[in-house]
Amino acid sequence: MLHLALRMAAHRITALLAVACAVLGGALMITATGVLAESGLRSQLPPGRLAGADVVVAADQEYHPDADLPIALPERAPVPAGLVDRLAGLPGVTDAVGDIGFPVALVDARGRVVPVANDDPRTAGHGWSSTKLLDGPRVDGREPSGSREVAVDAATAAAAGIGTGDRVEVVAGGRPAAAYRVSAVVDAPDAGVYFADATAVRLSGPEGPEGRDRPESRDRTDGAASRAGTVDLIGLRTEPGTEDRVASAVREQVEGTGLKVLTGAERGEAVAPGVGSSRSLLVLLAGSLGGIVLLITGFVTAGALGVAVAGQRRDLALMRAVGATPKQIRRLAAAQSMVVAAVAVVPGVALGYLLAGQFRGQLADRGILPAELPLTVSPLPALATLLLMAAAVQVSARSAAWRTSRMPATEAVAESRSEPREPSRIRTRTGLLLIVAATALSAAPLLSRTVLGASTTSIAGIVAAIGLALAGPALVKGAGEAAVRRLRPDTPAPTWLALANVRAYALRISGVVSPLAMAVVFVLTYTLTQTTVLAATADDTRTGTLAQHQVSAPGLGGLPSGTLSAVRDVPGVRAAAPVGTTTVVWPYQLFGETETEESSAMILTPAAADVLDLGVRDGDPARLTGATVAVSSEVARSRGAETGQRVRLVLGDGAQVDARVVAVYDRGLGFGPVVLSHDLAKGHTTTDLDQSVLVRTDGTAAAERALTELTAARPGLLLEDTASDSDTASDSGTGGTDTPPEVWINLAVIVVLLGYLLLSIANKLVAATAQRRAEIAALRLVGTTPRQIRVMMRREAAVIAAAALTTGLLLSAVPLALLGQGFLGRPWPQGPAWLLPAIAVTVVVTAFLTIDLPTRQALRTPPADALRAP
Amino acid sequence: MNNATTRPGHFGPAAGHAPAPAIALANLSKTYPGDVRALDDVSLTVEHGTFLAVMGPSGSGKSTLMHCAAGLDSPTSGSIRIDGHEIAGLNETRRTELRRERIGFVFQAYNLIPSLSIEDNITLPLRLAGGRPDRDWVSTLVERVGLTGRLDHRPAELSGGQQQRAAVVRALAARPAVVFADEPTGALDLHSAHQVLDLLRDLVDELRQTVVMVTHDPAAAARAHRALVMADGRVVEALDAPTAPQLADRLVALGER
Repeated sequence: MLHLALRMAAHRITALLAVACAVLGGALMITATGVLAESGLRSQLPPGRLAGADVVVAADQEYHPDADLPIALPERAPVPAGLVDRLAGLPGVTDAVGDIGFPVALVDARGRVVPVANDDPRTAGHGWSSTKLLDGPRVDGREPSGSREVAVDAATAAAAGIGTGDRVEVVAGGRPAAAYRVSAVVDAPDAGVYFADATAVRLSGPEGPEGRDRPESRDRTDGAASRAGTVDLIGLRTEPGTEDRVASAVREQVEGTGLKVLTGAERGEAVAPGVGSSRSLLVLLAGSLGGIVLLITGFVTAGALGVAVAGQRRDLALMRAVGATPKQIRRLAAAQSMVVAAVAVVPGVALGYLLAGQFRGQLADRGILPAELPLTVSPLPALATLLLMAAAVQVSARSAAWRTSRMPATEAVAESRSEPREPSRIRTRTGLLLIVAATALSAAPLLSRTVLGASTTSIAGIVAAIGLALAGPALVKGAGEAAVRRLRPDTPAPTWLALANVRAYALRISGVVSPLAMAVVFVLTYTLTQTTVLAATADDTRTGTLAQHQVSAPGLGGLPSGTLSAVRDVPGVRAAAPVGTTTVVWPYQLFGETETEESSAMILTPAAADVLDLGVRDGDPARLTGATVAVSSEVARSRGAETGQRVRLVLGDGAQVDARVVAVYDRGLGFGPVVLSHDLAKGHTTTDLDQSVLVRTDGTAAAERALTELTAARPGLLLEDTASDSDTASDSGTGGTDTPPEVWINLAVIVVLLGYLLLSIANKLVAATAQRRAEIAALRLVGTTPRQIRVMMRREAAVIAAAALTTGLLLSAVPLALLGQGFLGRPWPQGPAWLLPAIAVTVVVTAFLTIDLPTRQALRTPPADALRAP
Repeated sequence: MNNATTRPGHFGPAAGHAPAPAIALANLSKTYPGDVRALDDVSLTVEHGTFLAVMGPSGSGKSTLMHCAAGLDSPTSGSIRIDGHEIAGLNETRRTELRRERIGFVFQAYNLIPSLSIEDNITLPLRLAGGRPDRDWVSTLVERVGLTGRLDHRPAELSGGQQQRAAVVRALAARPAVVFADEPTGALDLHSAHQVLDLLRDLVDELRQTVVMVTHDPAAAARAHRALVMADGRVVEALDAPTAPQLADRLVALGER
């Protein structure tokens, strides 16, 4: 069978090229998605400044819902400091260090902030004992002592232009800049800034004499939590060769506390708690891509195989005539397709690994992923791709050959010269049903004004396009018949022939119309969903933000503590309130099962009502004190969290809290689903410093000038207008959604998938046209001139392009109208005006080029030759 | 022997000025790459109202002769006049247009367009020429070949004999000067073959149609007024009112040569 399949394959190069392209592109995208998913689950950061530690003990920075993937917790959860001495006493342990990290930044001679190289400014400061965790550091100088000395890593020292013995201004732990003497330069990668141990402990706590005073319980809800008696992590150095023994001894020690004991590559997890969330971003990304990639790959592969098998219906029918059983025919079709797929899948998988690498690089360049996070490259994604593609190819090839294989041999031969007269009824009904279901699905944005609700729009569009692919032949046939009936007798022959072909080759025509229509639907719904949600979000944020200015200190890791009161004292300032963002995990009951939703959450004080208008529907945001939250109306409705209810949340450091809902607001799209009271979040964020302050002034130029003077006088402060950056809400800390990276990722996805779709459509059209050589030759033999043939083919191309555009527009119209209604309150979406013309041009050019070129090729053979070699 | 000229047919040229012969080939040669001479300096005149059969073993050049004469292929050198119009040296488009107006063609494989109904197939060449079909003429022909009631069918729904008869109607619909038939009975059973041959002969006798038929079946060729025997790209013999045994003998002799 394989031998036969190969021999037959050699004669169908164009059609099989289309199959090969479909498989190659599909394998590429599935592999790339798989690599991203696996990396999200398994990749580890390099251990960085913990490279010298053999065993690391840190809190679990993940929340583990029942029967679901763990959710990353981005805020540093502490480890009891008392554990350090206990672990130091274990046999084999040479050093035990309780490591702490706190915000630190250097200020150079000109008053500019020099961020610590390759490190999060929120956790760049450490005690000197943490240098023991570095892997073979070269120290130039001596240990800092007292409260006015620091050691700086070599890269940062170079950036600030300082060396051992110099003086430098340091902003640490939210205190005003102070002069320090550089006692040493430490040459080790990503080392950070080191203080004398006692100084480090003092700086890491709030201002005041008591230093860290954090209760050890993680379930405290009184808002007075801080960090006394805790460290961020514990690093152990062991005698050579005893790591494993020490690690298991440590595990026994910490059993039941929930702490994690990390060795080897796992140590990277402990360096920065935010890594987990960027990894889970990869998982999320792969998850959301996976669905659409599989849908489109399956669609394209099935389409290409449909054309390939249709091209050899006659061969297959003749084989039936000489005694092949229906099963053998299907096996033959499948075997042939598998051969082609096997050849194409190998480079596809290889390129998939490369594409994943490229994608990771792009994400890292845009700061969406930490640059150090590597991809996990294992054969698993390749294996998954092979299985998925094999399944897709087998199913598609067998169903494409189904009809021909099941017919009586003689009928099959007779029918193989034209198409079946009646399209399959089941197929048509299934298609129409899918379109109806898709339309129903597209009502989701009306019910849920969230990003999730909006994402159903493009899925609905694509499901409708698949429905179109199924119902297509019947629709095309109907339309073709109606058109032919309406023709006037003096219609030019090429037009008449083109329409007759549309009617008679409904299967072939709809086979190219539906992927083109899908491309239209895909681009329209996917792009316009993004832009509409963005517009709605920006609109929410803009109308909801009363403040004109925002003061932040990105280079310092948080606002120095006196900033808020200083801003309030500026003449002309009417109101100022701190704003921060963190992450909450919210387990809630839905249909008797526990759903766990992770989302960003704003941290507000009661004063926020003067600078933000959340669109409060119920309750009062001025009561955001103590253990309280405000929620968006979506959340209130779907999770039964109306005003006065108590809810149980997990904060960004993993602490479980009970909080009372004091307000329900409408602008959830712009400000996120949950707002935490400042009191509730206190002690549960990595720094406890305010991230930014929103400022509402009297609007006078004098007030703005005074604010500018204030921020210029304090190093590291950044003054921004809230109006100018309304659509980059996440950067400014006022928004609840991470829009910019999402937009970028979606754009990349659109480009890659559209390229794949167009390539496969072009291939398919070329193959379909090339298969018409015999038909073209027959027409020429009865007296059609080459010009008439070309006119006929162009008319067909015009019909195909027009049909694809019309159906594509019709299928997207309902979902997009509902999206616009749900998000913007008007029945059309928001988006660039050039999008539709650009799509139209692309579709028309694709249809004309891919039909005209192979037609010219076919016309080069003299008709008598075509007659001799059927 | 390379100048076989048919006698005027049974129905000679009309009185008055002599019209051009239906086909006039002069010194026609066709060489394929590799110096294969399919046609070697053939000259031939066919008057109106003649039924001419061209015979010969495979590779004798009979199909090439017909493809060139019908304007489907272009000769390497020589002149082809159909109804007095030169077609050698015309470009593909002009040749196709001339073919549409002056020549009907009946193929062994029928070459009906599978996507069109029988009626649309029959009127297709007229449509392509931009003309209106002569309804009466077409329905006369359809009735004559016994396809009334089959006009709405697709070719795949007809028997081989019916399809070939439809092809004959298509060839005649534009009232061409010449009908070429390339092994018209090659794919048919004996009964259908008889019907088609009777039809062709009647067209010549009743309607003064000119028909040139290529075949290797002596029985089919015996239905013609005149038969040419070809070998190695040349016309080696011309027989008037041939009989099947006579033609069979000639072919056998050629095969043994």
